[in-house]
Parts: sequence; C-alpha cells; structure tokens
Amino acid sequence: MKEISIHFTVNGKKVSLNVPSRKRLLDVLREDLGLTGTKEGCDVGECGACTVVMNGRAVHSCLVLAAQADGAEILTVEGLAQNGELYPLQKNFLEYGAVQCGFCIPGMLMSSYALIQENPHPGEEEIKEAIAGNLCRCTGYKQIIQAVEATVKR
Amino acid sequence: MIPEIEYLRPGNLQEALQMLSEYGETARPIAGGTDILPGFHINSRRFRDIKTLVDISNLPEITAIREANGGVYIGGAVTFTDIVKHPLIREKYPMLADAAAQIGSVQIRNRATLAGNFVNNAPCADSVPPLLVYDARVTVRSLRGERHQPLGEFLLKPYRTQLQPDEMVTEVFLPPLPAGFRGEFYKLGRRRGVAISRITLAVLVKMDQRVIEDIRIASGAVTPIGARFPELEAQARGKTAEADFLKELAIQLGEQILQRTGLRWSSAYKLPVVQQVFYQLLRRICQ
Ligand code: FES
Ligand code: FES
Repeated sequence: MKEISIHFTVNGKKVSLNVPSRKRLLDVLREDLGLTGTKEGCDVGECGACTVVMNGRAVHSCLVLAAQADGAEILTVEGLAQNGELYPLQKNFLEYGAVQCGFCIPGMLMSSYALIQENPHPGEEEIKEAIAGNLCRCTGYKQIIQAVEATVKR
Repeated sequence: MIPEIEYLRPGNLQEALQMLSEYGETARPIAGGTDILPGFHINSRRFRDIKTLVDISNLPEITAIREANGGVYIGGAVTFTDIVKHPLIREKYPMLADAAAQIGSVQIRNRATLAGNFVNNAPCADSVPPLLVYDARVTVRSLRGERHQPLGEFLLKPYRTQLQPDEMVTEVFLPPLPAGFRGEFYKLGRRRGVAISRITLAVLVKMDQRVIEDIRIASGAVTPIGARFPELEAQARGKTAEADFLKELAIQLGEQILQRTGLRWSSAYKLPVVQQVFYQLLRRICQ
C-alpha cells in the first residue's frame, strides 16, 4: 500500500502520521484521530457535513487528500470549545433551537466559523452564502441563520 | 472509494513537469481535487486510468495573479476564491468574478481552480463563457516547451481539450478589454449552492450611440461545451439596437444552439428561456 507521511496541526495540536495516499482528510480525522464530530455525508462535495477549516478557509474534508493537508492548520468542530466552554456560536445554536438531528451541525458551525473569522459582522445574505453549501434536512435553516446572526451582533 | 494511487508533491514547476513527463498517461495533476475526487468516488470512467496524482496546488510559480501587458495573468492553481477577492479582476473582468462567485459553494471555491474548471471542460463549466468573451489565452507548459493558445481553440469537446498528458496549464491571460465594452453574466441552476448550471450566458457589447459597434456572445451548459457565436456576432455588428433586431438575434441564438446540440428532451424548456434571457440581457446592456 502506498503510504505517505504527513505532519499537520489539528485543533492546535501537532500531529504526525503515516497514511495510505488514497486516504482523504475526512478519513484521517475520523479513523486515525478519532475526531468523529466531522461527518461523512455525500462524499462528493454536495452536503457540507464534512466541512472543516483548513488554513482559515472552509473546505470539504471529503475532497481533500490527507496528503494535501500536510503542513496545514486544521480546525474541526472539536476545536471550537475552549477550556470546557462552548464557543459563542455553539451556545447560540443551542439557544435558537438550530439543532435537530445534529448531523449537519458540525459542518454548519465550521462554515459559520470561517465566515466570522474573515468577516466579523456579516449580514443575512453573507451568512446565507456562507452556508449555501451545507444541507440541513431538519431545521429549515431559519434557526441556524438566526443563531449566526445573534453571534455576530454581540 | 478512492483507488490505490500514488501521491507526489513536486517542490516546483520544473519538478512537476518532469513527473508528468515520466508518468505520462497514468499521471494527472491535482489541485483542488473537486472534480477528481468525486470522479474517483463514483468510479467515473474519465479518471479510472489514473495511478499517480501530482499535487500542483502549492507550486509558487502558478498560484499568483499578476498584472502585465495591460491585462491580467492568472496562475494555473489560482482558486475561485482568489479570483472573487481580487480587486483587479473584479474591476476589469467583472463577469469572471461574477461567474466565479456563483460556482459551487464557499468550500468548493476555496479549493477549485479556474484552470481545473476548463481543463475538465464539462459543458456546464461556469468560468468558460466569461473567459471566452474576454478572449482569454492559455499558456501550456511541458518539458518540451511552452505554447500559447486562445481558450476557444484549446477546448475541443466535452471533457476534452488539447492538453497532452505531459502538459500543464500554467497561466491564463486576460488581455486588456478595449474601452466601452459593457457586459453581463447569467446563470440558471436548480439550487443556490452547488448547482450544476443548466444555462449560462456571457455577453459583452460596445455601443456607439444606438449602434452595436462590437459584440461578443458565449454560452455554456446549453451547448456541448462553452462556446462563442461568431456568425451571430458578425451579424449584429453595425446594427441599431432596437427591440425588433434584438429579438431577432435572440431567436437566432436559439436556432444556433439547436444546430449545435440537436434536439434534446430539455430543449422545449431551455430554448425559450435562453432566448428570453438573452433578449433581456441585450436590452439592459444596450440601453
Ligand atoms: S461528505 Fe463532504 S460534502 Fe458531503
Ligand atoms: S439538524 Fe438534522 S440535518 Fe440539520
């Protein structure tokens, strides 16, 4: 099996490992690092459930080969809470009832997080654009948008 | 499933070209991977022979956007996000920025490259119609040398271009646009994010009072590949932009699309839409 060694930072921790070159970032996060918060949905870039932040930008971890993440800084949903306290975005998702089954939520959070990092005061249209690549089959999106809006208003 | 593959990461362009030349047909450059990886996943025939991926996404020689010769050079690994954010492209080539902003989703645009979009050459490649009306030229490199070609010649048929296995698109050049051109890009898809385009149109017009001095028209998704309409353009030059003539032009656009594609199950829906949208675009641009 063709292997490649990669070194990257995941949620602030340096990680080095050897992985088969066919593995995607999604596989390495979930299988090798046990970070199963990142979800596997469609595998083809349509649902956004696998979204993580790579070097400051939201990406589909199902469309990035693990080898391509060599040297990168990765943030997953597990890295949002600090010292046991939920990140404000997460608190608002709870407060606004933006979570039903929860499957899309890690992706929604990471897409919203990337948006806020780049643009601390996005308007409704910008929020919608940021999560346009994330499908949710439960909430109807409204509460998710409200939760993001509440986060950026404070 | 992603098949067993070998992954190579060259440190510079020269190394990348050496790898492509050494591995030939079984190697493929990968940048954003937004076509190749889903293609692997659905076991697409187009990607079945790939044994080796050469990662070009971080090659310094092809990740920049630069201004030169009055126009803009866009590196072969520049992403759509880079394009959307670039002030010069937004100012001088707004239809490209517009098309780029509507491609896929944020996550896709953060990875997918302009060159990858037209090298893949899907009929619905959104960047192609704007690039065609801007008379984009591509620079193709291999160990054998470098060649330059208008994009319209480089694209052959759906999923086929003139790119040889040992070659790579290193740059796209957008030449300076003569003063006075105004244009618009139109896209129709089924969903806001991640929609495969059903119809795209890019139109640039230069008016002299009420007369169409020059015009460039390109479509995507409704033609086998993104393409210009030279006969239509020739016919419109020098004509007065009155409603009757613009309507006539829109009818002819529909007829030419039909000639190029043949009758499809979707024609009954798409053609009237294309004609109507094209007419309205012309009305807005020419007024
Ligand atoms: S699993 Fe990656 S976009 Fe659906
Ligand atoms: S909460 Fe169920 S898919 Fe979004």
